[in-house]
Amino acid sequence: MSDGTPTKKAPYVVPIGPIHPALKEPVQFLFEMEGEVVKKADFAPGQTHRGIEWMGMHRNPVQIVHLTDRICGICGVTHSLAFARAVEQIVDIEVPARADYIRVIIAELERIQSHLLWAGVAAHELGFDTLFYLAWRVREESMDVIEYITGNRINYGLVQVGGVRRDIVPDQHPTIKKCLDGYRDLLGKMLNLFLNDTTISIRCKDTGLLTFEKALELSCVGPTARASGVVKDVRVDYPYSAYGDLDISPILPSAYGGGINGDVYDRIVVRLLEVAQSVEIIETCLKEMPDGPILWESKLPKLLSACKKAHGEAVGRHEAPRGECLHYVAMDGHEAPAMWKVKASSYSNLHSWIPMLEGEQLADVPIIVASIDPCLSCTDRVAVLRGVKRDLMTKEDLHRLSVEKTRRIQGC
Amino acid sequence: MLSMDVILVTILAAGALSIIGIVVGLILLGIDRRISARMQARIGPPLRQPFIDLKKLLSKENIIPENAIPSLFNAAPIVALASSIVVLLYLPIGSMMPILGGYGDLILVMYLLAVPALAMVAGGFASGSPYATVGAQREMVSMIAYELPLASIVIAVAWLLYSSGIADPFALSSIVANPIWSLVGPIGMVGLFVLLLTFAWVSPAELSKIPFDTPEAETELAGGVLVEYSGKNLGLFTIAQGVKTLVMGGLAVAIFFPWNLSPLLGLAGYAALAVDAVFFFAKVILLMILSVTVIRTGLARFRITHVVTLFWVWFGVAGLFGLSLVILDSVLAGWF
Amino acid sequence: MALPMIREILAQVFKIPATNPFPARFLPPSVTEFLKKVGAGEATINPPVATPPRFRGKIVYDRDGCIGCNLCIRVCPAHAIEFIPETKRVRIYVTQCIFCSQCNDICPKGVLTMSPEFLLGTEDRFAESQIVE
Ligand code: SF4
Ligand code: SF4
Repeated sequence: MSDGTPTKKAPYVVPIGPIHPALKEPVQFLFEMEGEVVKKADFAPGQTHRGIEWMGMHRNPVQIVHLTDRICGICGVTHSLAFARAVEQIVDIEVPARADYIRVIIAELERIQSHLLWAGVAAHELGFDTLFYLAWRVREESMDVIEYITGNRINYGLVQVGGVRRDIVPDQHPTIKKCLDGYRDLLGKMLNLFLNDTTISIRCKDTGLLTFEKALELSCVGPTARASGVVKDVRVDYPYSAYGDLDISPILPSAYGGGINGDVYDRIVVRLLEVAQSVEIIETCLKEMPDGPILWESKLPKLLSACKKAHGEAVGRHEAPRGECLHYVAMDGHEAPAMWKVKASSYSNLHSWIPMLEGEQLADVPIIVASIDPCLSCTDRVAVLRGVKRDLMTKEDLHRLSVEKTRRIQGC
Repeated sequence: MLSMDVILVTILAAGALSIIGIVVGLILLGIDRRISARMQARIGPPLRQPFIDLKKLLSKENIIPENAIPSLFNAAPIVALASSIVVLLYLPIGSMMPILGGYGDLILVMYLLAVPALAMVAGGFASGSPYATVGAQREMVSMIAYELPLASIVIAVAWLLYSSGIADPFALSSIVANPIWSLVGPIGMVGLFVLLLTFAWVSPAELSKIPFDTPEAETELAGGVLVEYSGKNLGLFTIAQGVKTLVMGGLAVAIFFPWNLSPLLGLAGYAALAVDAVFFFAKVILLMILSVTVIRTGLARFRITHVVTLFWVWFGVAGLFGLSLVILDSVLAGWF
Repeated sequence: MALPMIREILAQVFKIPATNPFPARFLPPSVTEFLKKVGAGEATINPPVATPPRFRGKIVYDRDGCIGCNLCIRVCPAHAIEFIPETKRVRIYVTQCIFCSQCNDICPKGVLTMSPEFLLGTEDRFAESQIVE
């Protein structure tokens, strides 16, 4: 075995990605292996830059809202909501209460479908395709309701600066309720199939450990952080929309009875229980939704001119299914914002891969990678266009480049 | 010694059986996919899908990676297919005695069963890809792992025949002629049942199916040992897989369910052969659904470490337990 | 060892699959030939899944009611609408449209609407079916 075939002693390198069946989106991993064990892990994101922020800076807020729908293929409302909230703060718009409730309903429906989608992906990464089909089959129920409310399955186009574009009328309640009841019945079955299955638990318990301290240190967000015991949820910590009126608390894996280990299993627990929580939230919102308008200004030209006059900057936040998503917008009296920056939730979670992966078996790499529910296309931002012939840029390089660009823009 | 005629007939029969074996093997793969799809609430591909796939694969060119060892790389699929077909020729199909029955016994079959896996290991190492290398290592490990339970089954069967005073205890023809269940008392029945269950779990491992498909592990190794194979070579592996499925089913039938329909129906001659062959394939299909399709659809993939513990500890113990029950039974029978 | 899935799949085998069937039972050798046959009533097609009310499909434009105010162009995120100065009317490129229906909301005359039509695939960006004017 002289042709570079690994023996027990010599570590060898296994590359995974940018294109690999374990990855749903491109990112590159390099693993230094010793036998089946990962000794050292490294990853390189940044394989899918799309220039979406640049596009936004040439459009007015009403147009950007639809652009934000398309930042992520799964979170159809997360980004539009965060962006709209940023613009609403700058323009000083008061969102009607009814619109706030509708926003919450759709955001929670999105959480349901996103978590079920993730559950399916996780099952597939474990080599359990049957569960994958099952999870995606039941996910269709929520997709159908989303389509029923908004008009489309993926790009909802529901959020507008200052409210929402479509109302939820009482006629629609029975269909929505039917879907929610379906999920309530289903939850026990899903918990049983995922958490009581021996083949799943031996693969997931104590794999991909992320300790409480590490999760804090790396500023993880969303279910990834909560599964490690970090009590963190924008909906609770900084209530917005209708979340302030609701009685919710962040879900920790201990809610299922066991302790908090911060392993893959706990991440499954947290996400499945959050589906149940979302069902309850939607139910409450449907019941307590106040009457009233759904838009701050239904005459769009007026809204556009109000946006055009506005000056200032703001940050809009939203607890996406994957964790906190943040949009920074600055407006300076033009149609288009002067600056628009998107921080997708996965951005905060990617670095937890390294402590999770090191020391684990190669066989568990796919499920550990998937366990933070990475959404790379939403995360990737930096692309080296021309001139600089380097793949990797340090913080100093980036700082120098941004200073140069600011100078260029200001013309000095 | 052998007349020309006999050799000629043997060759012709072997050729015919190989073709039947390949066709039935592919149909088995189709049935497996279809049933598995139904279990997952999908419609699934048509039964002839493996043939369509094969036709396409065989019409495509082989791509040999730059740092592969071409001779070994190309030889592996041929060896895998050839050895699976040879095993088939050692198996009794219904009431038709094995074509090569006179030239080897159960022990040889056990050795031959290992050859396709070994060919895959060689092909994997020869591919020169890290995924294939890891896959080949895993294939080797799991091969060693399931050998122990398999061996205890073979020994139990041979012991049974031997202690019942049957000549040639390792020959498949004598195993089929004397259904093992009729040779044991109640304790032995339990022992045989344990061994049957063990065999049901060894089959998916032998066929590299979920949960034991670690050598191919699509999600982490992207196909593992087979990752670099394409076109005709992959087609040959597909055929080999089909034949191997048939062989594993046939072996289970020969050891555990050797009964035939023809005595019951009072048939003789070619009619009996045909009826028994059909019955044989029906039994194989049923066994395959139970031990391959259900298991591969209902479980998640194991880590390679789990495979080793499972076979060395759990099924190793189960196999030995079954074996000792069978021995105990025959010893007790000798006393009374 | 607990394997709850085994029960689930054994029950599922006897139920009707959940998959939406492909339009044709098997892939026809030629799709256009097949569609012709369907049109002539010689073959049947599995109908597509029904769209919900207020589904946003291909855009519909009533050019007679349009006043050429250009507002739709101002909000179209995809730059899918073009103004034609000679006729003072607009032209919509469906291949570019992202089906947001924002133009419908702003149009003062309400001459833009979304139809439930969604089978729009074609090879030609500028095919007649892909331009609404
Ligand atoms: S639906 Fe949206 S993308 Fe399409 S033309 Fe209207 S505004 Fe433009
Ligand atoms: S907004 Fe309506 S009326 Fe105005 S140009 Fe567009 S289609 Fe015509």
